[in-house]
Amino acid sequence: MSATATTPAAVAERLARKRRGLAWARTFEGRVGLAILVAVALLVTVGPLFAPYPPNEIGVGVPLATPEGGHLLGTDQLGRDLFSRYLDGGTTIVLVPLAANVLGFLIGGLLGLFGAYQGGRTDAVIARVFDLLIAIPSLLLTLVLIAGLGTSWSTLIFVIAIVTAPRAGRVIRGAAQTVAVNDYVVAARLRGESVWWVLCREILPNASGPIVAIFSLYLTYAIVGVSTLSFLGLGAQPPSSDWGLMVAEGRDVLTINPWATLVPAFSIGLLAIAFTLIADSIDRRTVGNEA
Amino acid sequence: MSAALSIEGLTVAYRLEGGERRVIVSGVDLELQAGQVVGLAGESGCGKSTLALAATGYRAPGAEVLAGRSLLGDVDLIALKERDLRKVWGPRIAFVAQNALGALNPGTTLERQFKQTLKAHSEARGEAIRTRTLELLDAVGIPEPDAALRRYSHQFSGGQQQRIAIALALASDPSVLILDEPTTGLDVTTQARITAMLGGLLADRGVAALYVSHDLALLSTIADRMVVMYGGQVVEQAACGEALQRPRHPYTRALLQAAPDIEGRRQLLGIPGRPPLSVQEGRCAFADRCTMAVEACTTHSIGLESVGTEHLVRCIRATDPALATPPRELTAKRRETEGTPLLTVEGLVCCYSRHHEPAVKDVSVHVEAGEILGVVGESGSGKTTLLRALAGVIAPVEGTIKLDGTELAGLARQRRPEQRRDLQLVFQNPMSSLNPLHTAADTLRRPIRLFRPDVSRREEQATIEGLLESVNLAPEIADRRPTELSGGQLQRLSIARALAANPRLILCDEITSALDLSVQAIIVELLRDLVTRTGVSLLFVSHDLGVVRALCDRTVVMRDGVVRETAETEQLFTAPGDDYTSELLDAMPALPTA
Repeated sequence: MSATATTPAAVAERLARKRRGLAWARTFEGRVGLAILVAVALLVTVGPLFAPYPPNEIGVGVPLATPEGGHLLGTDQLGRDLFSRYLDGGTTIVLVPLAANVLGFLIGGLLGLFGAYQGGRTDAVIARVFDLLIAIPSLLLTLVLIAGLGTSWSTLIFVIAIVTAPRAGRVIRGAAQTVAVNDYVVAARLRGESVWWVLCREILPNASGPIVAIFSLYLTYAIVGVSTLSFLGLGAQPPSSDWGLMVAEGRDVLTINPWATLVPAFSIGLLAIAFTLIADSIDRRTVGNEA
Repeated sequence: MSAALSIEGLTVAYRLEGGERRVIVSGVDLELQAGQVVGLAGESGCGKSTLALAATGYRAPGAEVLAGRSLLGDVDLIALKERDLRKVWGPRIAFVAQNALGALNPGTTLERQFKQTLKAHSEARGEAIRTRTLELLDAVGIPEPDAALRRYSHQFSGGQQQRIAIALALASDPSVLILDEPTTGLDVTTQARITAMLGGLLADRGVAALYVSHDLALLSTIADRMVVMYGGQVVEQAACGEALQRPRHPYTRALLQAAPDIEGRRQLLGIPGRPPLSVQEGRCAFADRCTMAVEACTTHSIGLESVGTEHLVRCIRATDPALATPPRELTAKRRETEGTPLLTVEGLVCCYSRHHEPAVKDVSVHVEAGEILGVVGESGSGKTTLLRALAGVIAPVEGTIKLDGTELAGLARQRRPEQRRDLQLVFQNPMSSLNPLHTAADTLRRPIRLFRPDVSRREEQATIEGLLESVNLAPEIADRRPTELSGGQLQRLSIARALAANPRLILCDEITSALDLSVQAIIVELLRDLVTRTGVSLLFVSHDLGVVRALCDRTVVMRDGVVRETAETEQLFTAPGDDYTSELLDAMPALPTA
């Protein structure tokens, strides 16, 4: 950004700084998590192109065929190719929790940040609202909301966002509070900077470590949550090929074709583990950096 | 007479994260005699604390003793097993740390803490333990020892906690006591009382003590011998008076010239640069910062030579008589100011909450244009609160703050932009006052954009470099982040940020208290220079009377939220008009005059 920035030393320094920012990716957990994530991302994005059959077409094979019969994962009761359905069904399990998490973090984060910045009564009210929402068991809250709003992807996103928001907000508020007491925040307020500027330029970037870590972690919860709801019949609806729904449909034929259940279930678990590992490594790196 | 503790050729290294080994202390020889206090001085990072800890046999995580012995009588603490060390620690050698609260168990009462120590290390049992505890608490000056026994450590003040830590260290009657900056961070009057108490106790009990401190004036009040360390080596060792009045090593002399002195008004000379990160072999470690260095200083290793009775110096020019250049005396006369009040404060009252007593009660002061006004006081005097109210961090409950005759709103955001520009605050802790993610240029750019419409985007870069130059920072600093800068550089950057707004009054909140004396001196001279060059006024809050004497034109003394005295600085120091001012002056340790 300035004339001196082009010297080799300055460039090397900047690179070193960047490397420090991604230090978590060099830890063992970080690498494993990242590898799984890349694999699943490829499966979800490119996978559908390689599907041998249209995922929802009935009767492409004999109903309830086992993997030996030419279909990689066999077929379901309606004779749909399970491998094609598996390749197609991963999109929602990644996108829905992601969207729900982003929404939840936006709502909770904004409230938490504002509370930490403002302090006093505003902060107290926001904190108590968070506590109140967290006190309601999340599954109960979800079921009640879905019962009232019906089942659709947008409802699902909204419901999970509502569950995530107070939890995310509480963590972000805590992280922001430790940053907000710093004198550089006071200095910014004394300059007459706007609330928005102080939050986005002074507080948020310095609180980002724990926030990113907790985002990864809550993504895991959201993935498991979405799958659970789909399994219970409250999330993805037939004829969707969602992995959670596949597990639910496959369990009836568990003895005939266990792969129909195990492969999507295992994939959900793997995805959740990937995000947990990443959350863990980021968390550890940020803690280490502060010391 | 044989020494109570004799350290021989102690060399300590730290292993860094990457596996690299860094030698921190090298070949230190030191003897502690019974009943004698040895002062260990030097800047931070010179290996003082590492040496003090290693001498007790304590193995700090990552630290490794490469060579040497630490003989307690005929027992080598370095070679001793952890299990055996525990039998020595306490009854024979004890350690008092800087942070007393951290050294005391927060979960139990004083009675139990003393009981545990006395049970482990003495014959006393039952009622004898209680009697002994009361004696100890009384000896260190804890009021009402009986009641104190039932209290927890956090219920005592900082000074009392340190007294308790000392009592606990003395409980097992050690023959050697190591004290690592035991009074740093305490108020001057508290410090004076603790040091006096400690001096008496050590002499009475015939304890051999090593007293680590960066404060030469303080050491002169308690130490018999003085050892000065630089870059992990002893550079000078002599009787206390000799070392301070006739220092032979340029480093000792530089430290003395950097130390603020309450006895006279003189220029503070800082030491540019930083101590080396590890021991420098085959050369003088101080040569890079030394004004008297010659070529030979860097070409071969320099040994510790005797230059007088028990006076050792590690310098090839130690006996050169031409070296002693005393610091410039400053004229006692105050600088000419216009005499027009810039900022007027009347009847100011500030409260942090309705349930508490006001931190500032009815304070009236004024700052003249072009003036440096000092505000001194101990912790709890309300000096920082006053400053925060002036800056608009907190709103006063009562009273008025007028800038050029116009009343200012309580909070900064309610003030007009030009009023915000005119008053700039510099914070105490340089680490927390700069955003760790912003480069120096980012930090300076913001106030320029907000308060300097005259500076176009194109001129910004030049303005930033100009600001860095005005606080003696190299232009390369512009791309650095706070973590890549030293404490002194950070504080200079903070001052540059205040200057960037083109203010008329800079409010300084203890801005040198987190810095080494050598760096403090540089900042003080920088401020004086800035005021002379730019005509900006300064309100300088400090607990250090020496710094105030060196810098300020007028001084306000505060206590318990009220102004006790306002006077011309020289008058305040030579003829204090208030009892409390005299008390403060008496408590400040003074350097012996040559």
